[in-house]
Order: sequence, then C-alpha cells, then structure tokens
Amino acid sequence: MKTYGTEPGAPTPVQVGISELAISDGDETLKSYGLGSCLAIALYDPDSGIGGLAHAMLPDGDTAENSERKPGKYADTAIRALLRRMVEKGASYTSVEAKIAGGSDMFEFESFGDGVGQRNVVAAREELDKLGVPLVAEDVGGDRGRTVEFTPGSGTLMVKTTEADGTSGVSEL
Amino acid sequence: MKLDVNALGTFYRMAREGAGLAAGRLTHMTDVETRVGVTKLNFMRGREIRHDFEDSTEKIGVRVELSGAIEGYSVVVFDRENALRIVETIVSESDAEEFDEMNKSAATEVGNIMNNGFIDGWADVLETVIDVSTPEFVKGESADVFFSDLEEAPGDDDLALLFQSHIEAVDTEVGFSHYLFPERESMSRVLEQLRTSGGIEYDKLEGFDRMAERGAEEVAKTATTLTGIDTSVEIRRLNFVSLEAIPEEVPDERLVGVAFEFDGVPSGYLLFLFDEESAREIVDAMVPMASDDGDGDDDDDADGPESFDEMGTSAIKELGNIMASGFLDGWANVLDTTIDHSTPEFVHDIGTAAVDPVIVQLGENQEFAFVFDTVITADGKEFDCEVYAIPDEDDLERALNDLEVDRIEDAPTTADFQEVDNT
Repeated sequence: MKTYGTEPGAPTPVQVGISELAISDGDETLKSYGLGSCLAIALYDPDSGIGGLAHAMLPDGDTAENSERKPGKYADTAIRALLRRMVEKGASYTSVEAKIAGGSDMFEFESFGDGVGQRNVVAAREELDKLGVPLVAEDVGGDRGRTVEFTPGSGTLMVKTTEADGTSGVSEL
Repeated sequence: MKLDVNALGTFYRMAREGAGLAAGRLTHMTDVETRVGVTKLNFMRGREIRHDFEDSTEKIGVRVELSGAIEGYSVVVFDRENALRIVETIVSESDAEEFDEMNKSAATEVGNIMNNGFIDGWADVLETVIDVSTPEFVKGESADVFFSDLEEAPGDDDLALLFQSHIEAVDTEVGFSHYLFPERESMSRVLEQLRTSGGIEYDKLEGFDRMAERGAEEVAKTATTLTGIDTSVEIRRLNFVSLEAIPEEVPDERLVGVAFEFDGVPSGYLLFLFDEESAREIVDAMVPMASDDGDGDDDDDADGPESFDEMGTSAIKELGNIMASGFLDGWANVLDTTIDHSTPEFVHDIGTAAVDPVIVQLGENQEFAFVFDTVITADGKEFDCEVYAIPDEDDLERALNDLEVDRIEDAPTTADFQEVDNT
C-alpha cells in the first residue's frame, strides 16, 4: 500500500501489498502478509546491503499489457524491476542473490489446473536463471499461507506459517 | 446507457488516482502521514447508502457541485471527531471542540482541498476539464442532511453508482470517506466515450442487485435452519474493484473458511469466511458433542490445541456446502439458469492467504472483478460470516445480457433443506 508523507523513525516494517515491490538499503524490514498462492521474491546484495521485496501475483508479465505500470504484479517483471532499482541504488548486479517464499496451492479446484501457486514458483525460478541470479533459499508450495519479513541488510527472510493444528511455525531463510 | 468493464476500469483508476492526490495534499497540509485505503466502485440502492450513514455519530461533510465533463456532486465526509483532529493540526493553538466560525472554515478548506484532489485526479484520467463550485459545509447525523436535497441523490430503490475511497492517517484516526453522485446524463456520456465493447445495459444492473439480494437471503436462511442461530444479512453490496484490492479487505488474522468453485453462467469462486470464535460457535451448534473440548473444565473455549477436529471441520464444510447451494440457487433463479458448485474446501489460515489463490487464478484473464460482498451476523451470538462471490467477468457479462429485466421481480427462491444429512 502506498504511503504518502515521510517515514517516521519508528522501525515499523514497510508493508509490501499484492502487486507491489519495495527497495531498501539497510536494516529497514519489508513485510508481506498472508501469502497464499502469491510469491514473495527477495533479492539482495550481501556486500552493499541493498535489497528489495516483491509480492507477485502472476507468473508472466511479458504477455500482459499493464506490466509496465505494475511490474510488481508479475514474477518475471518484478524480478527485473527489483534488480534494476537495486543497481540504480548502488547494488552490484553480479553479487545479487535471491530467496523466494509462497506459491502455495491451498485449493484443489479443477479450474486451477496444475496449481496457481506452482506456476508462480516456476516463473520466478526461470527468470532468475535467465538473469544469472542464484536462488540461494526457498520455502515454496504446500497448502499453508505464509507471512514473510525481509531484512535486506542481513539478507534474512523470516517465514511465518500457522499450521492446521493451530501452532505457528517460524523458519529463517 | 450502457457500461462495460473497460469503462468501469477507467472509473476505478480515476477513483484511485483521485484518492492518491487527495491523500498527498492532506499530508502536505497537516504533516500527518496518510495512505489510501480501499477504493471501490459500489452499486448501491439509496436505502443502503442511507443505512451506511446511520451509525448515530455526527458527521461533517464538505460538498461541491461539479460541471463540465462530469456533472453532479462530490462530497467528502469525516466523522466529527476526525474533522476536529484535522482542524487542530492546521489551526495552531486550537483545542478544537466545537465548530465555531474559524474551525468551520478550516474544515471546509480541508474538505475542499480533498474534493479538488479527487476531481483533479479524475480530470487527469479522463483528460478533460471538470469545474467545481464553491464548497458548502454540511453537518448532521443522518444521510438526509448530506444528500437528500440533491437532485442526483438516488431514491430508496434507485441503484446508484457510488465512488468510495477511504484515506487514513498512519497510526492516527483521521480517516474520511468520499462520495461522488454523478448526474445520470453526464455519466451516460462519459460511459459512452470509455466503452470499448458492447457492454451491459445499465438497467440490467438491477439483475445484479437482485442476485446479490437473493443470494444473501438464502445464506442467512440456510445458516439459521442448520445452526438454530438466528442470523440476518448485515451488509450486502456489489463492488467493482481491482483484483489486488480484494485481499486488502480481508483481516490479517487466522480465519476459518470454506471455498468453492462454481460452474455455469456465470462461473467463478465462492468463499465463506468466519472468525475463529464464530466457527467454534457453529461447530457447537451443529455438533453438540463437540463442545467438550477435552481440557477437563466445563467451558468450551477449547483452550487445548486451537484446531478443528475432523467432526468440527466436517460440520463447517457441511454448513458451507448448503449455504453455497442456497446462495447459487438464489442467483440461478434470478438468471434463470443452473450453476453447479464443487465440493467444499476447508481452510484455516490467515484470511488473505485463503483469498489470494482465487484472485491469482482470475488474474490470468482479468484485471478487475465484481465482488458480491455480504456479511451475515447474529444477535447475541457469535456468528460473523463474510461471503465473497467472485464471478468470472466474461461469464457475468453474458449472464446479465441474457437476463430479461421483466422477470427479475417474479423469480422465486427455492432452497432445499431436505437433503441435509446431519450425521
């Protein structure tokens, strides 16, 4: 969700809503809530600490009309937009690494085919591969929702889930 | 007058753009960090707009008349307290408690700048000029004070296309709502310009509303029959929103839901979402034995593991299944068609995660969606159920075009409770 005005000093995480992406160059935390089939894509340069998070909804932006207006909506265009903006901020292309989380398939509906979450995961892997960005960790698939928090400075991607039995799980990628 | 998804999409962008400009200017003026909350196009009856207003808090409105490309009225509405807080940030040394002349003019100024923000945004998107009258300060508790003297205000049974945006300040309570009441003629002109396909006759939207009404009534009736909890339809509205905006409205907390895909004209997805407490109440009502939560005390608050056992899960699925049949029968009767639905899928997870697979799937082919948004509640007991019905866009347009408006009124509603297998 776009916020107007200046960021207060408080360390509240910046929320990255569906189809959005955000860049940060330090300890600022980027957060996406309740990912189901959507995919969180985190890129960061461990040397400069510059990184970004995208909350992609669909796999393929190259065939979509509005991907220029909303690059964060598609896995492929989101990765390219993150990378470009990070490099503009001073990140070094060759040292950038990627982590992804999300892409669950919560429902087994006929109309969903092989799974809508799976399609996003495949698209992200392909795009990263094409650009030569190593995918160093992932927590994808399954049938649970995830909330992620990404700190570019450390490259830590925290993934929270709530299991069917009500317990919460936290893993660190 | 006809409309299509492209025209509505432009309207939506207009509302979004306008809200962004208005939020930016509010920040500039007050130094309060703001953000645009949900932006929606609503199709609402006059009666419901009035109902929306009647929460017995006093409201402050700033109203302007528009001419040019869009004719009608634009109204910015604050809760009284919020208006006073904003005034305080502008009029220094003011401990604003009342609307004296100075505070009144400060509030009017803010409201006017907000209105202009919206209107500039629309003019940008439409690439045209919209003229604005001098602002008028309005104060009162009921909708009548704000709208009833307007020629454009819809009568109780008239369906109005309403633009609603909510802007909120980060960490403080200074949100406000914005309404646009366009004059029909000018709306028709704009729609004609923006339309790129055959579109839907505006009067057929009546069918939309009837579908929403019948669907909601069936759900409430079914829930009451099955659980013995007396439920009623609290909110029922038809929204036109961008797909991404749908999960924004779902709480970031763990919910219990039942999801379906449905197939016919239209096809689409249907979700029932309950908060955990309501879900537990429902399980208790449907499966009396389940109230023994096994923790040894007499309460049934399940202070053990917070899961729903097999019996609880199947009770909720069964309720969902029968509510889905009722809802879709309601639609099918209005549309004179048949709509089949899948077996129920149970979900107990963060609310947004339950909704996003559906928008991901629909997003392959559409950017916007009509959402039939319904809230069912019960007096005295926890039973809060949010119903999201999201039809496939093309199918819906087809279904509506096939609809004969004359028969909408006569459509019977039949839901069959006989097949309930309560084991």
